[in-house]
Amino acid sequence: MAAGDFYFVINATFRYLHDTYGKAALVDYWTAMAREYFADLAERFRAGGLEAVRAYWAEYFAREPGADVQVRRTEQAVELDVRQCPAIRWLRAAGRPIAPCYCEHCRHVCGTIAAAAGMSFTLAGGDGACRQVFRLQEGAA
Amino acid sequence: MIGVQDFVGYYDWTFAYLQRTYGDQAVRDYWVRAISLDSQRHARALIEAKGFDGMAEYWGHTLAMEEAGYTFQRAADYFRIDMFACPSKGYLDQHGLAAYSDYCEHCMGWIKPVMDAAGFVIHHEHNHAGQCYWEMHRAGQAAAQVPPDRGAHDVRRLPPAVWQQRRRHAYVASQRVDQEA
Repeated sequence: MAAGDFYFVINATFRYLHDTYGKAALVDYWTAMAREYFADLAERFRAGGLEAVRAYWAEYFAREPGADVQVRRTEQAVELDVRQCPAIRWLRAAGRPIAPCYCEHCRHVCGTIAAAAGMSFTLAGGDGACRQVFRLQEGAA
Repeated sequence: MIGVQDFVGYYDWTFAYLQRTYGDQAVRDYWVRAISLDSQRHARALIEAKGFDGMAEYWGHTLAMEEAGYTFQRAADYFRIDMFACPSKGYLDQHGLAAYSDYCEHCMGWIKPVMDAAGFVIHHEHNHAGQCYWEMHRAGQAAAQVPPDRGAHDVRRLPPAVWQQRRRHAYVASQRVDQEA
């Protein structure tokens, strides 16, 4: 199931939390989701290392409607070149106002998952195109 | 990123997060303000503008996208959906997910406000196992009782082992009529 209209729900959820409870509450929601809901994924990354990260994201973006993302593995990192973010694309195509801080969810969710897996995470760009990097931390295998 | 292919899992988790962090009422407020008024504004616009035709247009598109197992009935005085295989509940069951105590309730949580605003009431029942029916009537023209058997596609005709496999929640004219669990 990959019904793109679910991006409307995700967008509305971020806006609701931000407008009702504030930015800190929205960040808490993202980090709690990463720690709890994505605990198994973090363990998968920890156990499988960078190859597990590469395989997960390559498959994931292949199934997101309208995504244009290149996933590249190097010796110490996995780089996601997000040329067309599927969420931003879908929301813009529908004329939906995009929630404040929408793009920050990737930094907080993926950053928390990466930390639990013994990796670092960086993100540059946003607003529909960005570069995300999962990198082995110093001393990690 | 948070995508749509596994959306239902963290949607269910979100209900549980809101409940434990902000309380029961916060979950209902979220269904109204975030889902009914914001996310599903396209459904609201269609149904307010076109009534039964808008319902057919909205759910025809949405349920087809989600690859649901369902039937529609369109009569002069009602619009009805019988759901035999809810894709959302199916996803949760297949993945062993049940973070929130009553995932199915979210549909009434956002659809009822849409129908209230558009001038319709809902006869509805769900069994927490992926089967339910929805029957929308114009407000003031709905019987104050559970609708009669609607024929071969009425989900209530499923064998008791299916339709009655879990506790059911029922609404008549948008009012909850079963005992709270």
